[in-house]
Amino acid sequence: MSTAVALRGIRKTYGKTTALDGLELEVAEGEFFCLLGPSGAGKTTTLKTVAGLEQPDAGTVELDGRDMRGVEPYDRGVAMCFESYALYPHKSAYDNLASPLRSPRHRLPAAQARERIGEIAELLGISALLDRPVGHLSNGQRQRVALGRVLVRPARAFLLDEPLSHLDAKLRQQMRAELKAIGAVRRTTTLYVTHDSVEALALGDRIGVIRDGRIVQTGTREEIWYRPYDTEVARAFGRPRINLLPGAVTPAGGFRSADGGVELPLPAPAAPGAQTLIGVRPRDLTLGEGPGHELTGTVYVTEVLGRSVEVTVRLGEQHVSLVAPRGAAAGLRPDDPVRLSVRPENLMLFEADRPERPGRRIGP
Amino acid sequence: MTVRKRLLGWLADAALILYFLFALFPIAWMVILSLKPTNQLFSTYFSFSPTLDGYRTVLGDSEGIPFVRFFVNSLVVSVGAVVLSLLVGLPAAYASARWRFKGSENLMFTLLSFRFAPELTVIIPLFVLYQKLGLFDTYVGMVWVLQLVTLPLIVWIMRSYFADLTPELEQAALLDGYTRKQAFLRVALPLVKPGVAAVSLLAFIFAWNNFVFPLILTSNEAQTVTVGALSFLGGDRPKYNLTAAAALVSVVPPLLLALTIQRYLVRGLSFGAVKS
Repeated sequence: MSTAVALRGIRKTYGKTTALDGLELEVAEGEFFCLLGPSGAGKTTTLKTVAGLEQPDAGTVELDGRDMRGVEPYDRGVAMCFESYALYPHKSAYDNLASPLRSPRHRLPAAQARERIGEIAELLGISALLDRPVGHLSNGQRQRVALGRVLVRPARAFLLDEPLSHLDAKLRQQMRAELKAIGAVRRTTTLYVTHDSVEALALGDRIGVIRDGRIVQTGTREEIWYRPYDTEVARAFGRPRINLLPGAVTPAGGFRSADGGVELPLPAPAAPGAQTLIGVRPRDLTLGEGPGHELTGTVYVTEVLGRSVEVTVRLGEQHVSLVAPRGAAAGLRPDDPVRLSVRPENLMLFEADRPERPGRRIGP
Repeated sequence: MTVRKRLLGWLADAALILYFLFALFPIAWMVILSLKPTNQLFSTYFSFSPTLDGYRTVLGDSEGIPFVRFFVNSLVVSVGAVVLSLLVGLPAAYASARWRFKGSENLMFTLLSFRFAPELTVIIPLFVLYQKLGLFDTYVGMVWVLQLVTLPLIVWIMRSYFADLTPELEQAALLDGYTRKQAFLRVALPLVKPGVAAVSLLAFIFAWNNFVFPLILTSNEAQTVTVGALSFLGGDRPKYNLTAAAALVSVVPPLLLALTIQRYLVRGLSFGAVKS
């Protein structure tokens, strides 16, 4: 597969703040790539740099292998959905959708344009709103019009900046499910920015985790999930969050938690005495006896999440969460003693966190 | 509580009416003066035989003073000055709101400083230049010199209107396949229409009311109402009634203009365009 979008060593500063700090990114032709990061990480700046709306201080942007230096935004042939919507407030929803189709670049005969807009509006559930001025639409409706303005035209790449963030939960879930099924999206390279890890996992063929203007890790959802680069990436994905137990490597080559309450074999080799964190995801902890290592503790609190139950268990002075089927957790009360088991392959070993530097994964 | 509130309300009304009388008295005086016949001009009591002769004389060119032509001159020169300032000033305001380049702030300040300087400081050299260049007493010359009045106003006010617009609107237009020029003309400009209306009116009034430039730089062909109205004071007997009538006639265009574009003077078109 050829590379559709490539960012190489992009640096961008605004005054004294550094937005992008040597960002490297490659998106393959036709791929749906999710860029995940907290606000201020440089996600929007990345998209605008690809679109040519921001000029990088250093580094190159390539589209289909061509260096885009000095190429005007309208010659780059990318479509972008802005987080602020950036709809033309003096025009109706229809005219907003028609704007790209009336431009000198994509000009389409009016009848064809009307047909195309009708299809997209149908798809996004905004057919009834087309005559309204965008000022009269709700935020969720505006967001769909903004998305429609992107999807309505052919483009070399779609750049979507939090396009679902202002929809209500139900609509967001529905749109999330439909977005990738939309033909235009399936055929077109898409760079999708979000701060929602669920969205990234659900949509992304690959996911890039961005932090402080750099890509920390790129990979498929499995790679990100099972082989997170560091504790922060591990924490970013999955609710409830991954359990990270602090402890040290014993002289015998095992793991012992700081308070001595948990002892486990090391999932990856590490030097004796090293300060580490053992990571295990809540869904990989099993209530009761099972294959793998066993741990004992007491119930701290339980919370019913529909058909499953989140149980917080005290292990020594540490708390770990696990998600158990409702049947297995029935009748658990605070302070009840419980046994937990975990398969050895579900344990991850990280360096201990330091200020300003989350602990890297040692293994596996 | 309610009694006190009502009392305060009355007091406020009374104060406003007093101020209203104070502010409008000179205009009322002018109206009265303009309706007086020449022989009762200097009477200080309010009873006189009102007549429209003053207006007839002023508009009828019978005193040898072509007031109607001055009026037309004022219109041509003021509208011309505003149109030229808009043509030059709107792109300038947009550019200065969107792009910072070396010296851009200095450039903008220099432009603004044209408004600080009293016109009298430049009028003598201008007079000499205009004589040499053949611009003295011409429309072109007046429109040009009035740029000192209208251009800084339009650039500075429109700059803040453009700066209030989020650049993402034009960025969206660029990605929709429009050029930068089209993004300016089709997206940015329509959104600042209320601002353009307001600032045009303001600039028109400033240009219309300007006195010093036409006083020194015109003599007859391009003379405007501000100077022309004073011609009635020349001669052996000052005809205040004619000056008053001329002045009142010259108030009409700015007044009409203000009334027609009143609805644009209220902003609010772009609200809700962008998520705040």
